[in-house]
Amino acid sequence: MSTALAERHTGREQALSRVQINRALIALAALIVLLMPFLVNSGLLYLVGVTLVLAVYSVGWNVLFSWAGLASFGSGGLFCIGAYVAALAIRAGWGEHFLPVIALATLAGALVALLVGLVALRRMSGIFLAILTLSLAELLRHVLMRVRWLGSEDGIPNITRPVLSFGFFDIDLSSGSAYYWFLCVASAILLGICWWLAHGPFGRRLLAVRHDIERASFIGIDVHRSRLVAFVVSGAIAGCAGALYAPWAQIVTPDLAGMVKSTQPILFTLLGGLHSFWGPVVGAFAFMAIDYFTRTLIGIQEVITGGILLVVILVFRSGIAGGWNALLDGALARRGLDRALARQEAR
Amino acid sequence: MLFTFINSLTLGMAVFLIATGLTLIFGIMRILNFAHGACFMMGAYISSTILGDMPGSVWALIGAALVSGLVVGVFGLIVQHVVLARLHGQDEHFSLIATYAVMLVTAGAIKMVWGLEFHSVDPPPGLDGGVSIFGTFVPSFSLFIIAAGIAVFLILDYVIHRSWGGKLAVAIARDGWTSSLMGINAPLGISVVVTGSFALAGLAGGLLLPNQTLSPVLGDTFLLLAFITIVIGGLGNIRGAFIAALLLAVIDGINAWFLPGSPGTLIYLGMVTCLLLWPNGILGESRL
Repeated sequence: MSTALAERHTGREQALSRVQINRALIALAALIVLLMPFLVNSGLLYLVGVTLVLAVYSVGWNVLFSWAGLASFGSGGLFCIGAYVAALAIRAGWGEHFLPVIALATLAGALVALLVGLVALRRMSGIFLAILTLSLAELLRHVLMRVRWLGSEDGIPNITRPVLSFGFFDIDLSSGSAYYWFLCVASAILLGICWWLAHGPFGRRLLAVRHDIERASFIGIDVHRSRLVAFVVSGAIAGCAGALYAPWAQIVTPDLAGMVKSTQPILFTLLGGLHSFWGPVVGAFAFMAIDYFTRTLIGIQEVITGGILLVVILVFRSGIAGGWNALLDGALARRGLDRALARQEAR
Repeated sequence: MLFTFINSLTLGMAVFLIATGLTLIFGIMRILNFAHGACFMMGAYISSTILGDMPGSVWALIGAALVSGLVVGVFGLIVQHVVLARLHGQDEHFSLIATYAVMLVTAGAIKMVWGLEFHSVDPPPGLDGGVSIFGTFVPSFSLFIIAAGIAVFLILDYVIHRSWGGKLAVAIARDGWTSSLMGINAPLGISVVVTGSFALAGLAGGLLLPNQTLSPVLGDTFLLLAFITIVIGGLGNIRGAFIAALLLAVIDGINAWFLPGSPGTLIYLGMVTCLLLWPNGILGESRL
């Protein structure tokens, strides 16, 4: 009886300590990201900033995929809409009111996602949804490439980085590191919102829907509405990430709606860890590293990316985050066992 | 008018040639193969290596297309055994992403082997001219592609719906477990169909090679059009894909006639409309 109790106790201790270790790691990573402007040159800083935006965008996608069980292959289109809205607003001279501009882009992403979701989600999921969203994004790309007002194929270049105005004081974001820190704060807020959504009652409802639609509807969950809300939230985050991206890259092009952008969150999520909240973030930075180190090797880059993806799908389904947790659990269990044995011998 | 129509019909048949393989593999394994476009490209590159810039004759072109079909088919067999067979029966998203990974690997390998430069191959003698139909000049290579599309459709339709092997494949696609109880070797059947699907991609690459600019992005454009075609036609349905390819030709013709400045826009618009009207495709989804 007492040993069982002790075991349970140590078990709880282990679970707690894994969470603690991971929390410490996340804090450390956040600190490194924050200190980046002092550590690396501006080229690499740009890359890290882009990765940060893409990580947030992928977390938004993953809430839709890992929680609601819906795979959108057209999220690049929503990202692109957000980026274009922000670029246009800044071109029109609304740069001083950058926060409302971001809100506008977020709203645009959410609205388009709502329209698509209203029509599509009730009828289709799985492959059909994938194809529909893929071709909608492609339609958007084609239209953007033809509209001269939006710069046709060249997009909108020379986007100035805005000044944040809070009425009584201004923050100038025109320098690289200032805007970078703004990106950090914005990403943290967005990640916080996603975390809260995914781990609160809404996230639990979505999980129930993903696991078993029929049972979920039996216990009174409005399946269609939950999915729709998840779709809209994911679209809003994509739009917001797009708006953050535009002044950082200082150029937006129709290619943002292309298949590459749409599949990025999928790759990030899979490599980082499926069904894990931090997975896409880990995956985004891992992919950034792979891209950075293979950037001069034309062709090999894609072979490596594809190869890693295949290995993850075939043998290593839980990705980096899952692998890390398993490793940590194993190490902790061994240590716990050692300690228990030592205690027994002492007795 | 006729010229526009023939052009659109050529595009439609070209897309159909690619879509056949896609719809086959979907029919048997319920997999949407992202790697199909890259395999099509691989076929085109292999053919161009065999033929050089100036193919000797029509038969050389067809022969090279058959060889590249064979090579890509063998590649498909490998992919089937290493990747797809292991994911069979699991969440469809995994196989979707796995084929995307295969696409990345294939496209990367193509860039490594053939480089980034653009290649182009002339139509072979006999197909490089044109004929006059009702006073309109029609390139004979367009007619060749249209004929090839119709021929492939007729052969596949016969093989799937009339031949013994096709019926076995349909049985496996409908219910692999029960058909294996009947003594059908289901894994073998699936491998054969998947190989055939990849071989069709290689064949299409070889046949459509002339008049294309060979570059590493060639696969993507056609892949999306082929996706649209098979979804509109009903996934896994060869006849549906054929009808959808004709529809695509009509839409593209209308687009070229009324909106010559923005090619391709109406196709996507039409596709979205079709999907919303018939979520399962015109002829409905079919397991081969």
